[in-house]
Amino acid sequence: MSFLLDFAHRLEDSAIGSAIAEGRFAFPILEGTHLIGLSVAVGLLFLTDLRLLGLFLPEVPVRTLHRQLQPYILGGFALIIVAGVLVSFSEAASLVVSPPWPFKFAFMALAGLNAAYFEFVIARRPDALPDRGPLPLPVRAAGFASLSLWVLVIICGRLIPYMPQWS
Amino acid sequence: MSLIHALTVLQASRPAHAIAETNHMVIAVFQIVHVFGFIFLLAPSLLLVLRLLGLVLPDQPVEYILRGSRPLVGLGLAMTLSSGVLMFLTGPLHYYANSAFDLKMVFLLAALVIQALVFVVLGSRRAVSLSLARVGVGLSIVAWLAVSVAARAIAFV
Repeated sequence: MSFLLDFAHRLEDSAIGSAIAEGRFAFPILEGTHLIGLSVAVGLLFLTDLRLLGLFLPEVPVRTLHRQLQPYILGGFALIIVAGVLVSFSEAASLVVSPPWPFKFAFMALAGLNAAYFEFVIARRPDALPDRGPLPLPVRAAGFASLSLWVLVIICGRLIPYMPQWS
Repeated sequence: MSLIHALTVLQASRPAHAIAETNHMVIAVFQIVHVFGFIFLLAPSLLLVLRLLGLVLPDQPVEYILRGSRPLVGLGLAMTLSSGVLMFLTGPLHYYANSAFDLKMVFLLAALVIQALVFVVLGSRRAVSLSLARVGVGLSIVAWLAVSVAARAIAFV
């Protein structure tokens, strides 16, 4: 933990960290960009997950929606990562000691594993994604898991400023 | 009654006091609801822009996407407005004096008016020029993005 905290202090003291922390507009612009990326990536991902659950645009084939939204979802995630990393530079030390922070990353890792399992295993099974009608249980379960895990990621992210330390 | 006076009365009201004195985690819950509401509002609008630009689901009628998006947009609107009002009640005078909050309210009003116009006009099945529809939905997205940046700036101004 002390190694992580040392590293976090070094990030904060770096030229980028200081510039973001001391600039008047840098932090709100980066935070706003993070929120926009979140709305694009997670928002469109939610729409795909709701489709997997049969709750959104049931007439649209899952494969079509999934394939066509994918570039925008990935673009949104790129925006989240760039803005998130830059914001972290300016407040790294307070982030690493905040209890929700490790949980946020754990849920993100699980969401990534779930997406990879869906993409490379479930979706490749024959008849996994029929154009019409109810979807098989593993597909709906993957949609529900994705939706739930991203909800938890966002909740943990928003709790960071409200839970600065463990005690 | 001046606006300042009205806000002072509001700040002294029982509901405002109750919220202001509550545990700070309650405010965190309001913030979380606010963020989810924003996501539910923006994602279907973004899907509609992409459809109108012909970038996604070109074989699906715009009306179908619009109809399917309405429940989510309604939920997003209810979540952002209710949580926004509750957060405002924690300190009406503080928010009133914050220039980023004023800017957010202007963008919010613009976003709501544009979004309502887009949904009403596109949903009315009247013949609408595609360019006009694209401009309308594009403006709505720009307004929502401005709302999000102004909202994040409130804590720093």
